[in-house]
Amino acid sequence: MSDTSGRTAGIIVTHGRLAEELVRTIEGILGKVEDFYSVCSEDYCDSVIVDKIKEIMKKYKKENIVLFVDYSGGSCFMNCARATEGIEGVKVISGVNLPVLLDFVTKKGVLNYKEMTDHLVKRGRDSINGAS
Amino acid sequence: MLVLIRIDDRLIHAQVVIGWYEECRPDRIILADDKVGDNEWEKKLYISAVPSDIKVSVLSLKETADRINQGVYNKERVILLVRGPEQAFRLYENGLEFDELNIGGMHYREGREKVIGELYISEDEKSVLRELVKKSVILEARALPGDEKVIMNSRIV
Repeated sequence: MSDTSGRTAGIIVTHGRLAEELVRTIEGILGKVEDFYSVCSEDYCDSVIVDKIKEIMKKYKKENIVLFVDYSGGSCFMNCARATEGIEGVKVISGVNLPVLLDFVTKKGVLNYKEMTDHLVKRGRDSINGAS
Repeated sequence: MLVLIRIDDRLIHAQVVIGWYEECRPDRIILADDKVGDNEWEKKLYISAVPSDIKVSVLSLKETADRINQGVYNKERVILLVRGPEQAFRLYENGLEFDELNIGGMHYREGREKVIGELYISEDEKSVLRELVKKSVILEARALPGDEKVIMNSRIV
């Protein structure tokens, strides 16, 4: 396994197969992205999903992990909360969309963790606009 | 008044609070489970997933059966959730008799096999469901109100 110490990982956890498609779409724009994972809830039990998230998290320092979910308060959000229970400092960002992920992938090596997660939340909000 | 009794191993989640909202118009969701009630953290997590206009009660299986039978919720429209067949059967054994049970969410984990659609059921769970069938409970498989209602009674033999 490659040395992941110090690298920032993004884990997308969503309903259905959305996470997989988001990763595929991002890679269709930027090419292959390292340290970028999808966990799709599909037909799996919560315990299976939590184990999948934990398995990925084990490879990275906790302060270098960002979790993205599609829906705040949904089962994916709850499973991220379960996977990070007792672990301080891992950010779970809900309402994931393409602008957020594009910025994550392109800025994660430049901004520190706090700057980056703050930026991503703002980017997500700013990217939603009403048509005029 | 119980408007839905549902097996869903995700318990409270979007499919229940949003997907069933129009059909059920619930005043309250009861999460009936002996484990969740003892875990404050988990309890808060589930409660946080419910919009503020719907009340939530996290009760043990016995408390659930007792309180419903005492008529505590007679004036409310109630969705009752349990995580699996065992819990549904124990509600019944505790005196909460019901005619119909929605099998809404039983997801894949080791030991479970696909029975229909996205429902995965283990042999042990099937035998518990058969006990409910013996008590004349109709088992209807349906994740959402708009889905085709499939009666499962003959599919768990």
